[in-house]
Amino acid sequence: MMRIIFLECKKVFMSPLFIGLFIVFSMFNMYLIVDNSYFKEELKIANGLAETYGLEITNESLHQLEEDIKLEVGKMTEMTGQEVESVFSFFDQLSMEDYEKYSEEEQSFFHQLQLKEAYLNVAKQIDSDYEGLSMKALAEAEIEKYQLSGNAAEILLTEAEKLSIRFDKLKQTGEHKQWFFLGQPYEMHSFLFRTIVKAVVFEALILIVLATALLTTYEFENRTHLLVYATKRGRIVMKDKLFASLLVTTVIVAMLLGVTLAAYFTVFDYAYLWKSSISSALNWEYNFPYITWWDMPFWKFLSLVIVLLYSCILLFTAITYAIAVAVKNSYFTFFIFAVFFAICFMLPGFMPLSSSLLFITTFNLSVVVMNPHLLFTGNGGLVMFKYHEVLTVTVWTVIALVLYWLVSNHFKKVDIH
Amino acid sequence: MIVLKDVSKRYGDFTALHDINLEFTNGLYGLLAPNGAGKTTMIKMLATLMRPSGGEILYDGKDIFQMEETYRTLLGYLPQQFGFYKNYSPKQYLLYLAALKGIGKKEALVKIEELLEKVALPDVMNKKMKKFSGGMIQRVGIAQALLNDPKVLILDEPTAGLDPKERARFRHLLSELGRDRLVLVSTHIVSDIESIANEIVMIKNRQILYKDSVEKICQTLEGHVYETSIKYEELDAFRNRAILLSEKQEQGNTIVRFIHKGKPDVAWLPVTPQLEDVFLYEYRDDVDGEV
Repeated sequence: MMRIIFLECKKVFMSPLFIGLFIVFSMFNMYLIVDNSYFKEELKIANGLAETYGLEITNESLHQLEEDIKLEVGKMTEMTGQEVESVFSFFDQLSMEDYEKYSEEEQSFFHQLQLKEAYLNVAKQIDSDYEGLSMKALAEAEIEKYQLSGNAAEILLTEAEKLSIRFDKLKQTGEHKQWFFLGQPYEMHSFLFRTIVKAVVFEALILIVLATALLTTYEFENRTHLLVYATKRGRIVMKDKLFASLLVTTVIVAMLLGVTLAAYFTVFDYAYLWKSSISSALNWEYNFPYITWWDMPFWKFLSLVIVLLYSCILLFTAITYAIAVAVKNSYFTFFIFAVFFAICFMLPGFMPLSSSLLFITTFNLSVVVMNPHLLFTGNGGLVMFKYHEVLTVTVWTVIALVLYWLVSNHFKKVDIH
Repeated sequence: MIVLKDVSKRYGDFTALHDINLEFTNGLYGLLAPNGAGKTTMIKMLATLMRPSGGEILYDGKDIFQMEETYRTLLGYLPQQFGFYKNYSPKQYLLYLAALKGIGKKEALVKIEELLEKVALPDVMNKKMKKFSGGMIQRVGIAQALLNDPKVLILDEPTAGLDPKERARFRHLLSELGRDRLVLVSTHIVSDIESIANEIVMIKNRQILYKDSVEKICQTLEGHVYETSIKYEELDAFRNRAILLSEKQEQGNTIVRFIHKGKPDVAWLPVTPQLEDVFLYEYRDDVDGEV
């Protein structure tokens, strides 16, 4: 059986289209990373802060940072020959001509110090900023934004209450007070998960749907079906094809993600921030900071996102397989899958705004893979449920198993012409 | 032994085969019928690719669809039309099929070499099949059917695309194989099996017409097959008197071979019926003249 699975996998990996697409996608991901790498040097500040003052932002460490900045500001006074109170005030009154009089080394020093001040300012404001946050207000804003009513509004408010408890706990434990890249200018969380990881998911989906459709319909499209299904292995070879598809999916995800993340972490240094919480106040990108339902350091979040998306992609493989067995044509399979994916993603948008269906329909794989940056968080709009990801994967595993059972039984008995 | 018991096959309202009863033991059987008579349907059922709409197919008393891979282990099958992997060499392709037939790689490599030798393709063993002619592909097909040394060998139109020399070689191979196994060859080309088949099965009107030796089938026309020489202008009138089997031009006249079941003309030369005569007679168009 292993030899058959290996020979099936070989059919995909020998396909020029497949190899070509893999290279194109990998190059595109590299381009995305390199194109956004112009600020990578600035990111070293966050690492430096975590290295010097520890990952946790405490009153002591902040005090120490402030003192160190004062010393450096003093050094700056010496360099510039004028009294400098802060780098920001220095830059406020500095003209471009004057700025260019300084050496590159001096400019770099000013700039680094300015960034440290920025981190310090944000860190000092965490408590006051968090005091103003209310989960209920967030839910009400969402209700207003989507014009929800009835059941739907109630559900959202109930979830907001649960998130409120989690938020209070987060404030107590200080998960949010950890150094991380500043969210506002860099948006590193969005860049990694919404841009890069989502691109990988899309690319992987294209490749796995093509690969699964190719393998499943291979005999019919090459007209070798009469030979293959009359061998000893017979129609059970479809099971081998499914295993081969799942194996190919694993290799594709591993290779694509491996190449992309290797490039990403080579360009962007996370050396001292792997253990920093995703819920860190510094990772505040838009109107609201990310609040994960569980304490989740960056490494854990990244790992869980990879495991979750991999599971979703495996389920997509199984769904593609079911479509391919039914239609026996790789082009139709690809098209039907694309329509299925799009419909699932848009489905909540067609639900009544007062019904719980609005939320129920978000429990689908397309919604999960389209928002990797919001996974496991409580502020993901309509997908704020604590166990949304786990429930979605569980439900769709059952659906995929039922589909497999149905198509297997159908194929076992169908006449092969 | 394979037994077809009251086997029928329907596609919606259309009945392809109706109440077929047959028994096959070791030996070479020719399944003879014109295109569209249901040969391929019967063969696909024997290859477990299609299920009968009625009746059952038994191998040594067991339903072949319940036996599943136990039955298919014994089966070698060459379909009428089949594809191949264009970018594979015969060796790679046969290795894949060998894996599906449950043959280990080492054993398969030896067998593949031996079989490609047998079908005269040893020199192109590692060449991509996309450059192969139809005859070469057909020979690869024959090789794959023999990979597992099958006890039941089913060949659907196996000589399609083969040149006369290859056909002769293939006939020799078939008679060799038919000695110790069940070989069923479906064809509409009488000469492919006439000289080598132990028994001929003929299907007509969705049912079995004959299942007998060539001699016995030919005996059904004994005393009714003649040859005579007529003028070309008389040919049309002659068609109304007898069933013409063949005609050839010779020294300005036409030599006709025909069937006539009434009182013969003294000028007619009685000849020994051949299987082809029976074939042409049984599958003649309904508009043919009196006999």
